[in-house]
Amino acid sequence: MSYIEIQCGDVLSSVIFIIEGELEQLPQRSAIEEHINACLPCTAEIAHERAMHDLLQETLRRTCNERAPEDLHEALHRQLRAQMAGATEVVTQFSMTEISIEIDEFGNIEHREIQIEQTHIQHFIDQDNDETR
Amino acid sequence: MTSKDLVLESAADRTIRFERDALAFTDQLYAAALRYTKNPEDARDLVQDTYLKAFTSFHQFEEGTNLRAWLYRVLTTTFINTYRKDQRRPQIAQAELEDWQVAEAQSHTSDLGKSAEVEALENLPDSDIKKALQEIPEEFRMVVYLADVEGFSYKEIAEIVGIPAGTVMSRLSRGRKQLREKLAAYAKELGYSVETSKKAAAKAALEKGDQL
Repeated sequence: MSYIEIQCGDVLSSVIFIIEGELEQLPQRSAIEEHINACLPCTAEIAHERAMHDLLQETLRRTCNERAPEDLHEALHRQLRAQMAGATEVVTQFSMTEISIEIDEFGNIEHREIQIEQTHIQHFIDQDNDETR
Repeated sequence: MTSKDLVLESAADRTIRFERDALAFTDQLYAAALRYTKNPEDARDLVQDTYLKAFTSFHQFEEGTNLRAWLYRVLTTTFINTYRKDQRRPQIAQAELEDWQVAEAQSHTSDLGKSAEVEALENLPDSDIKKALQEIPEEFRMVVYLADVEGFSYKEIAEIVGIPAGTVMSRLSRGRKQLREKLAAYAKELGYSVETSKKAAAKAALEKGDQL
């Protein structure tokens, strides 16, 4: 038995957490679960909320599926080519030293070496490039 | 023993990689931009600006991490910084966000109300759905779109929009609620709820008959 008294209103105001599967974020999680298990109207309400959520999602996905106009696709490729002409050359250099560990018969670690390096080198071919419109 | 890897990516290589991986999301970003800006001209500009910025910082993008989420972050940030012209527009007050749970507290929906809601969603034309989405406040519209159309998790949305995860949850909850209320109102105008009431009444009468 839970000692926190949970009312229908408490359950209903937490519906978003139930729908999103994030009920564990709430401290009153177990009390809410107990209440739902014992409360038919709340069970029905949550089932309805789930159904509506799925239906709303389905409807929105069906509706909001505009494709970009063909000339926008073309403009983006042109824009990219123009950007490339003035882009920075980026050289990334990785240097990694292998880890070597020797353990003696008593289990003592004798030697350890870890070395990882990463270098970004940028050559600015065209300084005026950034964010031109 | 030491091994050295020299990774050289020329501007041309990087462009090809960007073209292949990032431009594949043009349609998706455009649809999102339409929701953000509410008009095709601005949506177009927003997508172009987004790709300009994304390419400029593409060498900072870690390969193997979520490119789609990264592009949406660039899109959203660009929109917030550039296209939200009216900077003085009041943002949702923090207090309002904090007591959202109290505000959300509600009573049970009647069976009739439930079936009317389902029927409304199933029958409304696409244009009404878009209109309803446009009418809810921008802060809500963004998170609802990112969650319900794009399927981002609330943690990803927190990163994309740059707000705390708890705020995502409250905006999501309120945004969906407002959207549903708008859709229900449209449906009522179109007369779906009347039909539903009749059907539901007939069904209830039948069930009552069965029990007797």
